[in-house]
Amino acid sequence: MGERLSVAVQGFHPSRFLSEETARLRELTQGRKVISAVSGGVDSTVATLVARQALGDNLLPIMIDTGLLRAGEPEQVKERLSRTPLSLKLRLVHASGRFLSSVKGETTAEEKRKKFRETFYQVLKEEAEKEACEYILQGTIAPDWIETQGGIKTQHNILEQVGIDPATTYGFKIIEPLADLYKDQVRTLGRHLNLPSELSERQPFPGPGLLVRCIGNLTKEKIRVLKEATKIVETSLAPFKYEQYFPAVIENKFAKDPSTKRISETAGEALGLPKSEVHTEVFEDRVTGVKGDQRCYGLLAGVKLSEESRETYGWLQDRLRQLQRGIVEKFPEITRVTLLVKERRNGGPLSIIVRAVSTRDFMTAAVSPVPWKILKDIGQQILKEESVSRVYYDITPKPPGTIEFE
Amino acid sequence: MTTIPVVYVKGQYNHLIVRNLKDLGVESKLLPPSVPLGQLESMSPDALIMGGGPQSVRSPDHLTGELADAARLIRQVKLPMLCICVTHQLLATAFGGVTEAARKPEFGPVEISVLDEGQILEGLGPSFTAWESHNDEVVRKPDGFQVIAKSSNCSVEAMRHEKRDIFGVQFHPEVSHTTKGVELFKNFLGIVEEHKRT
Repeated sequence: MGERLSVAVQGFHPSRFLSEETARLRELTQGRKVISAVSGGVDSTVATLVARQALGDNLLPIMIDTGLLRAGEPEQVKERLSRTPLSLKLRLVHASGRFLSSVKGETTAEEKRKKFRETFYQVLKEEAEKEACEYILQGTIAPDWIETQGGIKTQHNILEQVGIDPATTYGFKIIEPLADLYKDQVRTLGRHLNLPSELSERQPFPGPGLLVRCIGNLTKEKIRVLKEATKIVETSLAPFKYEQYFPAVIENKFAKDPSTKRISETAGEALGLPKSEVHTEVFEDRVTGVKGDQRCYGLLAGVKLSEESRETYGWLQDRLRQLQRGIVEKFPEITRVTLLVKERRNGGPLSIIVRAVSTRDFMTAAVSPVPWKILKDIGQQILKEESVSRVYYDITPKPPGTIEFE
Repeated sequence: MTTIPVVYVKGQYNHLIVRNLKDLGVESKLLPPSVPLGQLESMSPDALIMGGGPQSVRSPDHLTGELADAARLIRQVKLPMLCICVTHQLLATAFGGVTEAARKPEFGPVEISVLDEGQILEGLGPSFTAWESHNDEVVRKPDGFQVIAKSSNCSVEAMRHEKRDIFGVQFHPEVSHTTKGVELFKNFLGIVEEHKRT
C-alpha cells in the first residue's frame, strides 16, 4: 500500500463564484432589463443580490403574493428587503385569488404543484410583458432541478430541465445564477454579500408555500389552522436552531385497510410492546417520499401508544427510529410514520403533524430530536383550535420521506 | 489537476458527488452515460465515478437505455472506477454477479460493518453509519471481486476487484449524513494518484 495522500477539503469559494457569475450575467443580458422573482427566502434573495451587483438598476425585483405564504409574510419581506443594507425596491404583485382558484378541487400533490407552477409563470409572463422584459431571474438551487428531473416532485421553478421551453411557452428566458449550489453554499454566499443573519440563516419555505403543507384538498379552514399552527411551531422551535421545522395539516380520514392490524403488530415488535399498547391508523390522503431514488407517493401511518408508553418512548429517539424503520421495511406502501403526541376526544376533523429536521444540504435529512416536553407543549397549544383533534410528530428521515409532505 | 467526471444516471445524489470532488480540489462535472468514448477521452479523465439512479438492474437483459449505456462504460473504460448504489449493482451483474429485490430494503441511516479496509475503506472500520436508499441489492458477488463491507440487512455493502482499481458501494458516501463519506473519497483519490503515477 502506498503512502497516504493528504487531501484537504477546500470547499466553496464565494468570491470566486461571485466574480465568475456576475461576469456571466453581464455578458448574457447585455444591458437589458431583468425581472427577479423574489420570495423572501434566502435563495431568491441571494440570487437577486448577485444579479444586482452585475446589472444594477436593470434588475427589477418583484414578489408574488400567492395567498399561500405565512401570516403577514409579504409585507414583512417587502419591509425587510427595502431596509439598508439591502435597499431593494421590491414590488408586490397580489395574485392570491388566482392561485387559490387554480388549485381548487385538486387533491393530489403533483396536480396541485403543476397548477401552482402554471399560475406562477402566467403571472410572471404578464409582469414581463408590462416591463417589456425578456429575462426572469430565479433562485433555483441544485435540489430543485435534481428532484424535478428525477421525478420525485415538481418544483414550481423548474421548466427547462424538464423539457418545457419558457421562451416559446411564456415568452421569456430564465436565468438561474445559483442552479449549481446547495443551501449551505447559498448561505455562505449570502454572508459574503453582507446579508443580515436573519435572512442568511432563515429556514427554508417552499415556493408553493402552505399549499404543500396542506395535505390533500385545500380548504380555507385548513389554511387558516395551518397558519396558526405555523406560528406556534416556529415560535416554540426557533431556539433549537434545527435547519427546518414546520407543521402540516391533514384530514382525519383513514384507510379501511386490513393491514393496519399487522402494522400495529410490527410497531409493537419494534418497540417491545404488547399489541394492546399500540394502535395504528393509516391516513387516506397520500404523502410524498423517495425510496431508491424513485418517487413514492405513499401512505402515512399514525402510531398511537398508550399514554404511559408514549411518555417513555417520546424521549427515545433511537427507538422511534426503529419503529419507523420496522414499519417502512415491511410495508412498501407506507412512506412516512408519525407518532401521536396529543389528542382531544370529540375534537374537530383535522390533524396537525409537526416536522423538524437536521440537514446540511436538504438532500438527506435526519429527524431532529425535539424534546418530548416541547412537543407536548406545542400539542397543547395547537389543540386549542376547535377544528384540530390530534397532533403528531413525524419520525421519518429523508429518505424514505421527503422534507415537505407533498 | 485531477479530473474525475461523474456519470449521471438521474439519481438524487449524483450532483453531490461532483460537489464532494470539487470540495477536494478535483475537476468534475456530470456526464450522461451515453457520452461517446472519444468525448470522454478528450477530457483526459483520471478516473470515473458512477452514481445511483431510480432504475433497476434486476433483469440484466432488459436494462433501461441509461443503464445499458452505463454498463458499456463499465466494460470499456480502463480507469479507476467507483460505482455507487444502482451502478454498484450494475457493476456486479456486468461481471457475472446477481442482483435481486432486497429482502429488507434500506432507507436512511444504516450501520456498515467493514470486513476488510484495504485502501478504499482505510480508516472506516470497524463500522460507521452510512445513509442508503435502495429497493434492490447484490445477493451474489461476481467472481474476481472481494466483499469488503456488509450490513445487518445486506451482505454486499461494498466490494472491490481483486486486480483492478474498481470498487462498488451500496451506500452513499456522497451524502453529508454518511459519517465517513469524505474519507472514502479521499481514499479513492489516493488510489487515483497512484494509478496516475504508474
